[in-house]
Amino acid sequence: MPLQLNLLHEEFTEERQRKRDPLKLGMMALGAVGALMLVFYGFRAYQTLAIKNRLGAIEEEWAKVEPKVTAAQKRAAELNDIINTTKVLDSMIESRFFWAPLLQKLSGCVAPNTQLTNFDGTINVNKTVTLTIEGKATGAEPRAAAEEFRQLLSEELGKKYRNVRAEFKILEDLDTAVDVGGTSLPVARYIITVGLAPQPDSETNNSTRSDQALAKK
Amino acid sequence: MTAIGKLSKDQIQKVLLSAIGFVFLLYVYFTFFLGPLSRSRATMEKTMVDLQNKLGSSKTEMRRTASLEREAGTATARYAALQALTPDGAPIAWFPPRIKTFFANEGIDKAAAQLGNSDNPKEPELSGWSKYTWLISLPDADYAALGKAVADLENSEPLLAIDRLTIRTQPEQPQFQQVEMAAINTIQKR
Repeated sequence: MPLQLNLLHEEFTEERQRKRDPLKLGMMALGAVGALMLVFYGFRAYQTLAIKNRLGAIEEEWAKVEPKVTAAQKRAAELNDIINTTKVLDSMIESRFFWAPLLQKLSGCVAPNTQLTNFDGTINVNKTVTLTIEGKATGAEPRAAAEEFRQLLSEELGKKYRNVRAEFKILEDLDTAVDVGGTSLPVARYIITVGLAPQPDSETNNSTRSDQALAKK
Repeated sequence: MTAIGKLSKDQIQKVLLSAIGFVFLLYVYFTFFLGPLSRSRATMEKTMVDLQNKLGSSKTEMRRTASLEREAGTATARYAALQALTPDGAPIAWFPPRIKTFFANEGIDKAAAQLGNSDNPKEPELSGWSKYTWLISLPDADYAALGKAVADLENSEPLLAIDRLTIRTQPEQPQFQQVEMAAINTIQKR
């Protein structure tokens, strides 16, 4: 084997050391990592730009839709208000107590030998009705005539209303007498109190008529 | 001996310098470049999702409003009819004449209406409405005409409810009755 002499040993060593310079290697690594980071940043920036474009398109679409949506929401709130108010008003209209049918029933119960002098009707807080009916009855038995009127009233009102109670508050004979066909007959004075509650669906006919009246207007 | 042990002092300084440079690069990259970009992207994505949700719900909202508009047709017409029962102006100005005319048309010439009181309804839905209590007096009314008039009044004025009714015969003219009514009328605020 031939003997080789390295006469440039020092120069080779310096060359090797120059190549292995940590600063140079570090800078190269730094540059490589920096380049990778830059590429990644560019990729992310491109993605972000795409998102920005999509966002711009959606914002543009929203700008077109928003006034319509706001108007729709406002209109929906308005319609809900109208529906709710109409419901409450309708329930008020339907829950009214109608006096005309009561007056009709009352007039049907008054026999020729009785007379009404006072009528007072009030709707209570619990929607029941209290009537105070004052009148006079005459005949051979004026008290019996008054009782007959009370019974007929109770019976007739019971056909249309619930929980009808008709009671005498006062029933007294009067000193005065009336002349009927040349015969003098005694007179009794009475006050009847009546309590009743309207049937839930007893006023349907009247409600329908109210609706028709409203439709005409 | 380890690799670091073989390095000269100058080389160790260079390695440290490179390491510091690397840390600095990372700091600058994440703090001034990638961080703000990611934050901006996250904000945009969040805004986009919000807007997409709003767009989705807005379509539903608009469909619902259109459907509500169709369903509310009857209620709207009825509400308009109820509103039309309230003329313009103060109720004290138009209600008494209206009642007087109404009873005159029913054959009861003497009629007067006085305002008892006014109040706001308890129902929150009726915030735009008021309740007026009127005292209506008919000094000379025939019972039959009164019954018909009351029926017509109840049917033609749906927002009016008679709360109290008093009928008294007149001693001198038993064929006529003296009538007083307390009626509550629900009137739209104008």
